[in-house]
Amino acid sequence: MEKLRSQGVNAAAITYDSPQILHDFGEAYKIEYPLLSDVGSKVIRAFGILNTNIPEDHEMMYGMPWPGDYLIAPDGTVRDKFFLRDYQHRPSASQIVVRHFDGDGGSNTVNVTADQLSAAITLSTDRCFPGQEIAVSLGIKLKPGWHIYGKPLPDRYRATELILHGPLVEGLALEFPAPRPMLLKALGETLPVYEGEVRALGKLGIKWSPPAPVPFLEAFGKWIAPGAYKIEGELHFQPCSDSICELPQAVKFELPMQLEAGIPPAPKKTPQQ
Amino acid sequence: MDAKTKASVLHDVIRRFGTGGSDITSADWEQFVEAQNDGFQTGPEMGERVPGFSLSDQNDRRWTLNDLMGPKGLLLVFSRSADW
Repeated sequence: MEKLRSQGVNAAAITYDSPQILHDFGEAYKIEYPLLSDVGSKVIRAFGILNTNIPEDHEMMYGMPWPGDYLIAPDGTVRDKFFLRDYQHRPSASQIVVRHFDGDGGSNTVNVTADQLSAAITLSTDRCFPGQEIAVSLGIKLKPGWHIYGKPLPDRYRATELILHGPLVEGLALEFPAPRPMLLKALGETLPVYEGEVRALGKLGIKWSPPAPVPFLEAFGKWIAPGAYKIEGELHFQPCSDSICELPQAVKFELPMQLEAGIPPAPKKTPQQ
Repeated sequence: MDAKTKASVLHDVIRRFGTGGSDITSADWEQFVEAQNDGFQTGPEMGERVPGFSLSDQNDRRWTLNDLMGPKGLLLVFSRSADW
């Protein structure tokens, strides 16, 4: 949330709970931003997101919204919205910053060098919850005279690829800019290439873990203990110049990632006698 | 899923949660999520003005959209509940 605030974006959450319940929750998790009490779900209804599948006589769930986030511009209009259908995935606040605001893409960075290039791999955070999506950016600087390949590419050449793996990694979706077709006289073909500086942006999905090793929820994901982990990866590329092609290479790297515990419901205060 | 089935699934799983939840299968859970997601709505569209409101927070302080708004925007999160 500090990342958002440093970009001039405030945060607030709304639920149908009473101010007392929200107070207990805020205390338990040291939450500093407003938790707004929409008892009776008037605002949830006004937004049009009251979950109409829940019957009125359902004590616990009636009044609940389809959960989601709005990024609202200062003029009161929707700039973006993030609604996810399952209990497992939620974009991180840092990813929202990267997607919408210029500047700092994150401070969790590692630099790698090879003979023909240097690269920085950056994650938008070094702390995450199970099931989150984190922004990834890859910045490559090629030495003059050298190029690497994009897609689509014949099999005999290696396209540029970033691979991430490790116990926390669910999947990576990375978008490269369109490569430039270049006629390579020495090879006698026109191929999609990158030269100079290249930047790719994408999302890393963190594996979901149940908040505790509960048998029926484990069908959706194995329990992963909170703690310090590493995101490991390789940058694959094939550097070529006007006259020669090197063999495909991979540079390895790793980035730290702290997995926080999934949040269980707030502990209830014992009633005063 | 018709309204009656949805209601029954939603009541049933919550009741079973209440007694420990050890008999809830992954198929039950999938049905539980599906019952909630039918006709999923996401509210105001991009560029649309959001409804005005005035709500109390966890410290009984009142906020309108204007009060909450930061210089560059507001991230407004609608959560299911803080209670469960």
